[in-house]
Amino acid sequence: MKTLKSLLLAVMATMALTSCTYNTLVEQEEGVTRAWADVEAQYQRRADLIPNLVNTVKGYAAHEKEALEAVVNARSRATQVTIDPSNITPEKLQEYQAAQGEITQALGRLIAISESYPDLKANEQFSELQAQLEGTENRIAESRRLYNEAVNTYNVAVRRFPNIIWAWIFKFDKKTPFAAEAGAQKAPTVEF
Amino acid sequence: MRKILFIITVFMTAVAYAATYTVDNLPIPYLQDKTQYVSNPDNILSQVAVDSLNLWLGQMEKAHGVQTVLAVVERIQGGETYDFCMALGRKYGIGRKEQNSGLIILLSTGDRAYTILTGRGLEGTLPDAICKRIENHQMLPALREGDWDTAMLNAVRAITKYVDGDDSLVGDTDFDEDTGALIGFLLCMLLGLGIIGFAIWYDERKKSYCPSCKQYKMKKISSYTTKNKRLGIRTHHDTYRCSHCYFTKELHWDENINSGHMGGAATGGALGGSFFGGGGRSFGGSFGGGSFGGGGASGHF
Repeated sequence: MKTLKSLLLAVMATMALTSCTYNTLVEQEEGVTRAWADVEAQYQRRADLIPNLVNTVKGYAAHEKEALEAVVNARSRATQVTIDPSNITPEKLQEYQAAQGEITQALGRLIAISESYPDLKANEQFSELQAQLEGTENRIAESRRLYNEAVNTYNVAVRRFPNIIWAWIFKFDKKTPFAAEAGAQKAPTVEF
Repeated sequence: MRKILFIITVFMTAVAYAATYTVDNLPIPYLQDKTQYVSNPDNILSQVAVDSLNLWLGQMEKAHGVQTVLAVVERIQGGETYDFCMALGRKYGIGRKEQNSGLIILLSTGDRAYTILTGRGLEGTLPDAICKRIENHQMLPALREGDWDTAMLNAVRAITKYVDGDDSLVGDTDFDEDTGALIGFLLCMLLGLGIIGFAIWYDERKKSYCPSCKQYKMKKISSYTTKNKRLGIRTHHDTYRCSHCYFTKELHWDENINSGHMGGAATGGALGGSFFGGGGRSFGGSFGGGSFGGGGASGHF
């Protein structure tokens, strides 16, 4: 009888502990999903800006066909790469990041080219579009930072004891954070 | 010894003149005094401009709950005004949490760079394009001429216009300075009355103490008063008898005819009220924990 009682107590104590850690894990996983949704929203925001930007540049520099097409193509390629937010694998994230990185590069080239068109630079609409683009790039960076933070918190929680047991039972897998951008890893070289 | 002193002096002057601010050493006067939104440690803006800016930004917070930090400095570490603003917003959590209505305006004259950073909740009121337009039209012409006062005054005036046009931003209506002072006054009054009540109760209890049987059973059975007009004193003669052992004692106490009991309480309340009321104006502010998602616009001149 006594052993039964203590066994029951032990089970109840574990249950209490489980529900607590389980709920925390659920909340943190939800936080990661939310952070990812924000990342996607910001990338989408940038994609939405592109047609407007391309049209504005076209009005002043129509013969810069290559740069303009590069942006449009990169955009249409990137919209085909989608991720299931509940299953973000390193490979899939890599692919997503590469596709979005292409847009970043193409846009960078387009903006650089537009520097040589004084009329375009003086255009109010272009200046404001550029500001919107810049703000969106900033938002992307911030949302990625927050996503990585959420992933980090979650990954640490999942590997802690005793969470690791419940994570194993309930299949809370490790999540994938963003890797640093390929270009960001290399320190810039200064040449004179 | 002289050499060391010389080195120290050089070092100190270098520090004093370098004036490169980091997020951690940029003074935020708002924390000490909630009417001060402008951080102007290098005295780049004139006092007149600072006062106007503080007034406008104060009205903006009161009417729309937009909490602003406006900083004008000589130089910032790294020279990137956007990064600096983001770090500043992250550190202090500028803006009310429920509507994320923080706003940071930074001008670094030495770096020739500026940023208007909008909190997440302000991105609809002040989209990036509008921030850029304000910068291009209101700030840039003055900045190019080194007229820092005009640039900042114009920018804030334009921002106020956009914020005033947005009714979805709610200001402080529930709790402002005056309510705070009133509540402080009432609390003081209550405290004063409580102390007096306790004193009266304690006094009564002491009077009911029977020295013979050591119980609190003495009751007043008779009393009369005598007046001394020359001294302005009324003397009470009270006779108490213990209901337990019938011990009898007589108490005499004097009362000043010219002032009543309540005098003390009124003075206490008035003092307390003025302390709270007067203090309310210079209390430090606190930031609400708003977050920034990277909205706004930056530029160089």
